[in-house]
Amino acid sequence: MGRLLTLNKVGYRYASQWALRDISLEMAAGELVGILGPNGSGKTTLLKVADRILEPHEGVVSLKGQPLQAYSRVSLAREIAMVPQENHFQFAFSSLEVVLMGRFSHMGLFQFEGEHDMAVAFEAMEATHCGDLAERPIDQLSGGEKQRVLLARALAQEPELILLDEPTSFLDLRFKKEIFELLSSLKKKRGLSLMIVSHDIDLSARYCDRIMLLDRGRVFSEGTPGEVLTARNVEAVYGCPVSVDKNPATGSPRVSIV
Amino acid sequence: MRTGRRETMTPQDSRQNGPGMRGRPLSAARVIKVCLALTGLLILTAVLSTMIGTATVTWDQLWNLLLGNGTATDPAWLVIFRIRLPRVILAGLAGFSLSLGGVVFQALLRNPLADPFILGVSSGSAFGAVLGIMLGLSFDFGVPVLAFGGALLTMYLVLVLGKKRVGMESSTIILAGVIINAFFTAVIMFFIATAVDDRLHTMLFWLYGDLSQSRFAESAITAPAVIAAFLVLYCFSKHLNLMTAGEEAALHLGVDVGRAKLVCFLVVSLVIGLVVAFSGLIGFVGLVIPHLCRMIFGSDHRLLLPVSALGGGIFLIAADTLARTVISPSELPVGVITAFLGAPFFIYLLRKRGSRWAGS
Repeated sequence: MGRLLTLNKVGYRYASQWALRDISLEMAAGELVGILGPNGSGKTTLLKVADRILEPHEGVVSLKGQPLQAYSRVSLAREIAMVPQENHFQFAFSSLEVVLMGRFSHMGLFQFEGEHDMAVAFEAMEATHCGDLAERPIDQLSGGEKQRVLLARALAQEPELILLDEPTSFLDLRFKKEIFELLSSLKKKRGLSLMIVSHDIDLSARYCDRIMLLDRGRVFSEGTPGEVLTARNVEAVYGCPVSVDKNPATGSPRVSIV
Repeated sequence: MRTGRRETMTPQDSRQNGPGMRGRPLSAARVIKVCLALTGLLILTAVLSTMIGTATVTWDQLWNLLLGNGTATDPAWLVIFRIRLPRVILAGLAGFSLSLGGVVFQALLRNPLADPFILGVSSGSAFGAVLGIMLGLSFDFGVPVLAFGGALLTMYLVLVLGKKRVGMESSTIILAGVIINAFFTAVIMFFIATAVDDRLHTMLFWLYGDLSQSRFAESAITAPAVIAAFLVLYCFSKHLNLMTAGEEAALHLGVDVGRAKLVCFLVVSLVIGLVVAFSGLIGFVGLVIPHLCRMIFGSDHRLLLPVSALGGGIFLIAADTLARTVISPSELPVGVITAFLGAPFFIYLLRKRGSRWAGS
């Protein structure tokens, strides 16, 4: 299907401090790209620029060959969805209501959720294994449950690209793996493209097709997990001595702190 | 599997589970049903309120007069058409827009303490009104015009101060409102402190909400503005739902947050400025009624907006009826009644049902 999202020499600064500089990236449809890097390396800023929450000061972001500015907020929401790191809900919405929020961009101004919207929402909740949470208030869910509901909300937008901002940061081992498994299967089954910001180097190494390693707002290295996750790269960026070997079970790079 | 799950979400279930728990989303039919019921209640309250007062008007008299069988010399006609009906209508309009403004601001600013006055519109128009009273202007023209001018002035200041480079961040806006509020309150206190004659009494009444000067002309000016404001705001009801989930989340979901905020701020402030110019500062309605409705009807603004507005109208008509009858033939400022009734009732509900604001 060709290029979906293209970043061309993108730069963004907060006041005079550049948070991102000279970032170029091409994402194909059906790709799972991991963005790694230490705190403050610009990972979240990159996601926000990719969804036009922030307008870059340099360079161009384009979606399907069109610059992002050419899209209205609503039409953008039908193409790109975001799973935030955390979403605090001020009101006690049910999980289903939260998922149905994803249908906003597909509905008319005065339209109420119809059978089709309900079907999409339930399907999304089933895909993320949270169908049984439909009636539970969102603020009473555990971290893992909430993350799956938010992922279902993103799916309900029926986007082609989902951006995820550290979706596993508050989760225990099993949930972390579940989320990555889920993303991987969504990619395979639906041809979705996914860009995930994460601190889980090993899981990213195992599931991502490609990894971009950021260091102080610049691309330090980019390529397959095997190419990027070398001891030299990781040490240089994270400033922490590591050893890298192959995980005997999966064959993907395994990074251990030494 | 899916059908099984669907069966658990019948409307019966949702009613038992309460508003926040309902599995099924809101339907247009439910919105229309609830709104019709509340509109009926609003009309009933208005009719009863017109009959009650220092001079009692019977049902037959009222019916005859409403059919146009009265003459302008009939004392009952005078009481109904010159005094009570204009007042009841203005009370309804004021309650409607105060509560509407409250529910919109609470969602926009994601702040449970927000009311339509939080951006300082109240103190601005109070400043205008007190200045007008000080200058001895009439309540027909001078005082409302100055009050509305004061509201516009504060609105302008808040938006200019709050906008700056951050692009209307809620906390900046609130802060700007608080500062402007403090400044104008000081000016008002200065006026009050220097007022010597009965103007002091007039000022204090105005500051606590005074509907006793109502005439049909005021409703005729206010009603179209209130209805237009409601229609515009209702277009944003789904946007408001998403914005309560956070501004960034709303952006991702397809809401043009900046535009939605600007339109809502402007529309609410304009209509509140207009209403306040005629009614004075009636507190509590815009804070309590939205919360109350949220507890009863849930957080979906497609229902919450009309329900709060109608509820505010009903509440203020009832409160104003009490204000003019409790110590009849003398009367109380209606703001005293709204706080007097609203606060205990609200606390009762809060204890019984729990707040819809998720504990953070």
